[in-house]
Amino acid sequence: MTGTTDPEEALRDRISADSLTSRRDYLRVMTTVSGGLLVGSVAVSAGVLHRHGDAEAAEVPELRVADRLARGQAVLFNYPGEHDRAMAVKLADDTVVGYSTVCTHLACGVLWKEHRGEEGELYCPCHEGSFDIRTGAVTGGPPPRGLPKVLMVERADGSVWAVGTAFSDESVRHAACRQLGAIRPGTTVPSCPSGGGN
Amino acid sequence: MTFPSAEPPHWSRPGSDEPRLNRPVPERYPQIRPTSGYADPRVVHSGPGPGAGTEQEPERSAVLSARLVIVLSVVAGQLWALNVGVDAWMQGRTGTAWWCTGFEALSFVIALGAWWLGPRDR
Ligand code: FES
Repeated sequence: MTGTTDPEEALRDRISADSLTSRRDYLRVMTTVSGGLLVGSVAVSAGVLHRHGDAEAAEVPELRVADRLARGQAVLFNYPGEHDRAMAVKLADDTVVGYSTVCTHLACGVLWKEHRGEEGELYCPCHEGSFDIRTGAVTGGPPPRGLPKVLMVERADGSVWAVGTAFSDESVRHAACRQLGAIRPGTTVPSCPSGGGN
Repeated sequence: MTFPSAEPPHWSRPGSDEPRLNRPVPERYPQIRPTSGYADPRVVHSGPGPGAGTEQEPERSAVLSARLVIVLSVVAGQLWALNVGVDAWMQGRTGTAWWCTGFEALSFVIALGAWWLGPRDR
């Protein structure tokens, strides 16, 4: 690629370029990879990845997941979308918590292990990832993010309902404000940060 | 034992019966040169000589290596940024994810520049 026309010169260049071939190819390949990473990043930011809780919050009705739940018992359901696998657990102090059961590491199914840890924990058997049962935060293993939450309520009659979602590591309050903003745009709730949170 | 003449017996005479075929190699095959088999006309002896297999243009080689190192570092940075971006997006922090995308774009421009700035080696 010297643009020279002198054959002697061209031969010389070819010979000295010879030993550089693999590095040149490597350079080209890696530059292409760099472009690929840019494309991937644009796709991620634009939202190609499925995210638990992305099913239009405004349109998902509350879901009755159990008529009653005993302490230490877990129930599996799909919420908010048909394919968003989730689990609710009633803890020893009667709190009901809910999480996506898709591990944030490589998407294995997360299990409720009542006898692990102090209060029990959510455990992923694939690579021994574990999550705090109260917050969904990662307590061990390779998962990079906490589990997305399903916001649960227990009605007076003992029935357990899924009423909303929160992304990985998002506070319940932030998530509730965000979903309120989606359902009724423009409303200002005093306890929510202005803008509803995005 | 005596030989009738200085000529070896016909059965032990090397070469061909045809004198045409007994001429020296360069005469028989003018295409074959002492350097045949080598693309480099500077190689005049067979076998590795001094400097065989080394860089012909060390500076050019060094520049290529440097460009490669730059692009590899850039790609490492991009992998990290993609990781941060995916985490941010999954946590609902879309703004941060777009910042990571901006970083990726900048990195790609640098990588493209490092590739582009070597007209002889790309
Ligand atoms: S998939 Fe859950 S820890 Fe790897």
